[in-house]
Amino acid sequence: MRRLSNRQHWPLWVVIVLVLLALFLPFFLPWTYDQIDWDAVRAPAFSGSHFFGTDEIGRDRLARLAAGTRVTLMVAVAAALVSLIVGIAWGATAGWVGGRVDEAMMRFVDALYALPFMFIVILLMVIFGRSILLVFVGIGLVEWLTMARVVRGQVMALKQRPFILAAEAAGTPPSVILLKHILPNIAGVALAYLMLTVPQVVMVESFLSFLGLGVQEPLTSLGILVKEGADDMDMTPLGLLLPGGLLVLILVCLTIEGERLRDIYS
Amino acid sequence: MIMGALIFRRLMTAIPTLLGIILASFFLIRIAPGGPFDGERPLTPETQAALQKAYGLDKPLWEQAWLYISNLLQGDFGPSLVYRDFTVTELVAQGLPISLMLGGCAIILALAIGISAGLTAAVRAGRKTDNLIMMSATVATALPTFVTGPALALFFGLWVGLLPVSGTGQGITWLIMPVVALALPVSGAIAKLTRAGLATILKQDHIRTARARGLSESKILFKHGLRPALVPVASYLGPAAAGLLTGAVVVETVFGLPGLGRYFVQGALNRDYPLVLGVVTLYAGLIILFNLFADLIYGWLDPRMREG
Repeated sequence: MRRLSNRQHWPLWVVIVLVLLALFLPFFLPWTYDQIDWDAVRAPAFSGSHFFGTDEIGRDRLARLAAGTRVTLMVAVAAALVSLIVGIAWGATAGWVGGRVDEAMMRFVDALYALPFMFIVILLMVIFGRSILLVFVGIGLVEWLTMARVVRGQVMALKQRPFILAAEAAGTPPSVILLKHILPNIAGVALAYLMLTVPQVVMVESFLSFLGLGVQEPLTSLGILVKEGADDMDMTPLGLLLPGGLLVLILVCLTIEGERLRDIYS
Repeated sequence: MIMGALIFRRLMTAIPTLLGIILASFFLIRIAPGGPFDGERPLTPETQAALQKAYGLDKPLWEQAWLYISNLLQGDFGPSLVYRDFTVTELVAQGLPISLMLGGCAIILALAIGISAGLTAAVRAGRKTDNLIMMSATVATALPTFVTGPALALFFGLWVGLLPVSGTGQGITWLIMPVVALALPVSGAIAKLTRAGLATILKQDHIRTARARGLSESKILFKHGLRPALVPVASYLGPAAAGLLTGAVVVETVFGLPGLGRYFVQGALNRDYPLVLGVVTLYAGLIILFNLFADLIYGWLDPRMREG
C-alpha cells in the first residue's frame, strides 16, 4: 500500500477514481442512463439537472457516461481474465513440457499473432448474436497470445532453478510444482501483462461496439457512446468529445501503469 | 540461396494457413442463422429454392467448400449475393486500391514518424526531450482509430473546414485524416521499439570501437547503430499490418471510403457469403505476404538471421 501511494502511480489513481465514479455516481443522479427527458432533447451542458446536457433523444449524458464506463470496464476485466487463464495454461504447458510440444504450441501462437484475428471475431459476433458474454469470451480468446509467450519464457527460466529441480527430485508431482512453486513466481509478471491486456481489450470491445457488433442497446458502452457522438457531432460535438476523451484517458492511464509494472518485473 | 530457401519454407507454411483461414471462415459464416435472401419482402418458398439452386447453396456444405476453393484457385471469387449485378472479384477490385493506399501510406507515415522520434529520443537519452517523446509515444499507442478519426473530422473537417469529411473526391486531401488516424498508434509503438533497440545497440562493443576510431556521431548512429536497432521494428511489422487492416475497417466506415473493410462489414451483416469470404481471403493473403516481406527485411537488417 505504501508503494501505491507513491506519486508515480497517478495513472492508477485516476483509473480508481473513474471506476468509483462509474460505480457510485449513478445513485446520486436524478436520471438513469436509458431514461428520456422529453423536455430537454439535446440540452446544452450545465442546464437544469443535466450536468453534461442530453443526447439527441434526451438522455442524460453524465448518466450514460457512467453506465458506459461501467460496462466497458466490466467487459475488459472479464475478457482480460479469460486471456489470463488461457495464456497461463498454454504458456505454462509449453514451457514445462518443452521439446517438440513446446515448438508446436509456440508456432501456433506465432501463426495466430500475424493473422487478421479481428475478422474472425467480427464473424463470430455476427453469427452468434451479440450477447455480452460472447463479447468477452471472444475478445479473451484473441488477446491471450502475449500472455502465453511471456509465461512460457518465465516457466522455462524457472524450470532450471535449483528449488524446482529439488522439488522434482523429491518426487513432487508436476501439478503441485506448477501450482505451488511456479505460479507464485510468475504472478508478478502475469499481473503486469494483465494490466497491459486490459487497455487492449477495452480497445477491441469499443471497436466492436463502434461497428455495432458489441454490446447492444439498451446497454451502453464507451464504444457505443463514441459512435453515437460521431454520428451527431455536427450538432453537438460534446457527444463525441466526452466519451472519446474519457476512453482515451482510461487507455492512456492503464497503458502507462501497465508498462511501469512490466518494467519493474522484467 | 539461403534467402530462397527461407522464402520457400515460408510459402510452404503460408498455403495451409491460408487454406485453414478460408475453410474456418467458410463454415463459420454458414453456421450463422439467416441467409442472403431474407429481404424486407419475404420471397415465396419456390423463389427461395430457385435462388438457392442458382447459387449452388442447396448442395452439401463440403461440396460447396470444395467448389469454392477450386474456383478460387482459378481466380474466381464467385458472385455477390447481395450486390446482384456484381461479382465479388469486381467489388474487391474496386475496394482493394483504396484499402492498399490507406494501409500503405499509413505504414510509411508511421515508420517515418516512429523511427525519427525514437532516434531523437535515444540520442537525447535521459533528458527532457527523451521523456517528452516517450510519453507522447505511450499516449499515441493508446489512441483508438475510432476516436481519433471522428475527432480529426470534427476539428479539421467541420470546425476549420480544411479537409473533406468523407468520400474520395478532391485530389489526395481525402487521404490525410484517415491515414493520420491509422498511423498514430503504430508510430507510437515503432518509436518505443526504435528507442529501446538503439539503447541496447549503442552500448555494444562495435559502437565503442567505432567511437574509438573517431567516427562522427551521426555516422555511428546511421551506419552502425540504426540498422541492427531496427530488428525489433521489423518483427513488429507483421502484427502492425494486421492492426492497420483492422483499423482500416473503422476508418473506412468513419470517412465513408469504399474500401475492402466496408464490404467486409456490410457483407457479414447481409450474409453475403462469397463477399465476406473473398475479403477475408484477400486480407489473409495480404498479411501473409506482408509477413514474408517483413522476414526479408529482418534478414537484411541482421545477417545472422538469414541462417536461422
